[in-house]
Amino acid sequence: MPILALVGLLGVLLLAWQAPANAQTPRFYDELEFPPLRDIEIPAYERYTLPNGLVVYLLEDHELPLVSGSATFRTGSRFEPADKVGLASLTGDAMRAGGTTRLDADALNQQLEQRAASIETSIDLSEGTASFRSLTEDTEAVFGLFADVIQRPAFANDRIDLLKRQYSGSIARRNDNPDGITSREFRKLVYGADSPYARTTEYATLAAISRADIQQFYQASIRPEQTILGIVGDFDSAQMKQWIAASFGDWQPSGVELNATMPQVNQARAGIFTVAQPQLTQSYIQLGHLGGQLDYPDHAALAVMNEVLNGFSGRLFNEVRSRQGLAYSVYAFWSPRYDHPGLFVGGGQTRSEATVPFIRSTLAEINRMRTTPVTADELAQAQDAVLNSFVFNFQSPGQTLARLMRYEYYDYPQDFVFQFQDQVRQTTASDVLAAAQARLAPDQIVVLVVGNPEAIQPSLDSLAPNTAVTPIDITIPQPGA
Amino acid sequence: MTGKPQTARGYVAVQRLRPALVGLMAIVGLWLWWPIAPAAAREPLHSAQAIQPYLDRVADAVTEFTLDNGMAFIVMERHQAPVVSFMIHANVGAVDETDGKTGVAHYLEHLAFKGTSRIGTRDFAAEQAVLDQLDAVFTNLLAAQAAGDTAQVTQLESEFETLRQQAASFIEQNQYGQIVQQAGGVGLNATTSADETRYFYSLPANKLELWMSLESDRFLDPVFREFYEEKDVILEERRMRVDNSPIGTMIERFLEEAFVSHPYRRPVIGYQDDLFVATRDDIQTFYDTYYGPGNLTAVVVGDVNPAEVKRLAEVYFGRYPSRAAPPEPTIDEPAQTTPRQFTLTLPSEPWYLEGYHRPSLGHPDHVIYGMIESLLVGGRTSRIYKTVVDDAQVALNIGSLNGFPGDRYDNIFLLYGLTAPGNSPDEIGALFAQELQKLQQEPISAQELDRVKTQARAGLLQSLASNSGMASLLAEYQAKTGDWRNIFDNLTAIEAVSAADIQRVAQTLFQPTNRTVGKLLPPPSAQ
Repeated sequence: MPILALVGLLGVLLLAWQAPANAQTPRFYDELEFPPLRDIEIPAYERYTLPNGLVVYLLEDHELPLVSGSATFRTGSRFEPADKVGLASLTGDAMRAGGTTRLDADALNQQLEQRAASIETSIDLSEGTASFRSLTEDTEAVFGLFADVIQRPAFANDRIDLLKRQYSGSIARRNDNPDGITSREFRKLVYGADSPYARTTEYATLAAISRADIQQFYQASIRPEQTILGIVGDFDSAQMKQWIAASFGDWQPSGVELNATMPQVNQARAGIFTVAQPQLTQSYIQLGHLGGQLDYPDHAALAVMNEVLNGFSGRLFNEVRSRQGLAYSVYAFWSPRYDHPGLFVGGGQTRSEATVPFIRSTLAEINRMRTTPVTADELAQAQDAVLNSFVFNFQSPGQTLARLMRYEYYDYPQDFVFQFQDQVRQTTASDVLAAAQARLAPDQIVVLVVGNPEAIQPSLDSLAPNTAVTPIDITIPQPGA
Repeated sequence: MTGKPQTARGYVAVQRLRPALVGLMAIVGLWLWWPIAPAAAREPLHSAQAIQPYLDRVADAVTEFTLDNGMAFIVMERHQAPVVSFMIHANVGAVDETDGKTGVAHYLEHLAFKGTSRIGTRDFAAEQAVLDQLDAVFTNLLAAQAAGDTAQVTQLESEFETLRQQAASFIEQNQYGQIVQQAGGVGLNATTSADETRYFYSLPANKLELWMSLESDRFLDPVFREFYEEKDVILEERRMRVDNSPIGTMIERFLEEAFVSHPYRRPVIGYQDDLFVATRDDIQTFYDTYYGPGNLTAVVVGDVNPAEVKRLAEVYFGRYPSRAAPPEPTIDEPAQTTPRQFTLTLPSEPWYLEGYHRPSLGHPDHVIYGMIESLLVGGRTSRIYKTVVDDAQVALNIGSLNGFPGDRYDNIFLLYGLTAPGNSPDEIGALFAQELQKLQQEPISAQELDRVKTQARAGLLQSLASNSGMASLLAEYQAKTGDWRNIFDNLTAIEAVSAADIQRVAQTLFQPTNRTVGKLLPPPSAQ
């Protein structure tokens, strides 16, 4: 065969490789076809339990010379005594801030920051957390400090005093920002001011907390059989297991176990409420009522409802923001929690005189969810948005690890995220309507407006002519009062 | 920022009882659209050699090309997951605006979400005719208002409203965002700062061509529809970030005090009076001047084939006609010769701010300012944190903004503190002075120098783990310094810095004559 023909044939082959399905001219977005997305890969992980009850997850990821980890503790501020609000949070902060019995706070800070490493601890409403971050080469040393902070916090008195002083400062500053006032007072109206899900630290509850209380809450909260430890990054699992055994194998609980009775939740108030802030030119608004949990059977339908209401082309953004120009931010979410009722909460900010129109428009969109089925286009848009972006749940090994730990902590099935995916796929317009009718309760709505009463015209009375608008006093109770 | 509609998964529980020690960084981050990537790079290998293989690997994963029309592309392959992050970085910000037309860069950013002649409209020809009439009536309305002709104003307002509703009838609202979200796009948003305007989102990796198509259309053929509705949205945004936020008002005032003539003295969101009179023509002129392909940098990071990116970029973005390079802003700020100080009284607990003029990122000492910042306020072992928060306990928290409000040009190195109960801003100021003098008088220890360098290396490593973080970092360095490799060259520069260098820069920077102090105080009745 002559050489020329061979070259010619090769040329044809090369062209043939280039050609298929490749745009050589620009195409409009709706003319495009996409190849299938490659499958999601769940990274291999290992789960085991130490004899003392500590659950361990390990997930190797060698892309970068970094290791990070976290421990989740079964505790939360919802279990602290009502006269010592702030105890859980203070315990979480003091664990780290006060150093350990082997290393004082300054030395601990020095050892970590010299290595560009970090350890942080906290206790929030429904869980406690300790986390660390380290370069691979420092993993053993930093992990040792991490184990120290968890098992041997010193709770140095001077550090506790400093934290209490800082908490006092935060109380003093809590009304400086109208957004902060709005979300805090809205929770108090829905859950009740004394509910563990809404109450706030006061000078008096802070003053009532002693070092012994902190020590006791720590012992009740931070225990091996109540801890899930997860580590992700550039480590060798066999080596890491040895370090875990050496640092956590001998850990035994001390003190009295936590009384983890779940608080009762009922909605406290309904109606229209206002906080007078005469200096404001805008009203800060939240409206809504008690919500639910992620394990409700209609969770996926409610997630679809959220998509229809919110997002860049959601009904609220289109109507209240883009069409009426009433607000920079407007939203309304069914916001469930894992193990207690969350909130259904909407709101935003608008100029004072537009307060009533803003509230009416937002409530009208909420009511429309209950009265009219979503359109086929809206349903498809919402389902596609959730399903097409599903891959973003699997961007990094750390994301997968955090999800596994969260599901174990709240006793959810390990494939919950995939169940959710299936349910979204199967959701119909009538499912969304039924869920909205079952879960959204107009007669339970709390409307809270933080703003300038003089400038709110028409006034809030016009929203419900036969209902009183209840003012809320946010004066901070002074120490000793 | 064009709104941050919280996602279904994005509602953040607000029940935290921990001290809400609001950092200025967080506030200014919202208010000034502070670039996030350099901050991430500042947070956290003991030796420079240990990190090198990882940096080399990143450099090998990056390719770059420039289209014939001048538009620069940077592509970083990262195949960990089938996703890809995109960013268009327009090298234009509030610094490029003219007096009387503040807020135009940010206004344009909002309008860049309104679609094209094919996206966002039901009948573009009819719509365009109404939009033109609407603009004409608005111009007359401004004139009538200026002339105080109330009868004419009433008449024009009525015409305006009729036309506005007519225009609205053609609109497919937010169709651009709807297409992106339905395709599985996440993180769709944009930011405007003093220096730059950035447009970004992420997609599943099979939809590379969707971004090419949508994003190239967006800046080839933008239609600035819903202009007047969006003006109301931006005025609400201004009220929220500035007028109803004591610290937002404070920041706006601080820049007006610290600069005499520098365009950095003007707020990114713009003054209310300027926003009221802004016209669609102002936006169009700004777009024509600053959105030529030579002023845009595109970055693609993720599970992509660079050859495919290049091929598609030529097809889609190659359509942009090249345009003349935009003008540089005039910077004629006179050297400060005396200390400046001001007090603002607002319903808030006190804040103390203190800023010093520093040179732009092009200055050979650029990285040293970052190292000084790290020494002073980076972490619990940093000097000011240790002295002011931990030992003297006169502040609840302290922080800094280095390169404020931008760093393309000479700017401000700012330190701030929130007073602890019973303490005054002056007590914070006195301890700041003590620590700054110490830095001028004594060389820092080898241990501190080593810590700062280790943290810079670790910080860069951490930022390599995020597609969207790398997209913004690569774009920023390419656009501002002309070469993304300066990300790594900066690290080399940091390795070379000595204790004497730190001392030298501290001596020049922290001069009283170079300082502006701002105090935010509550009204006397509240104290």
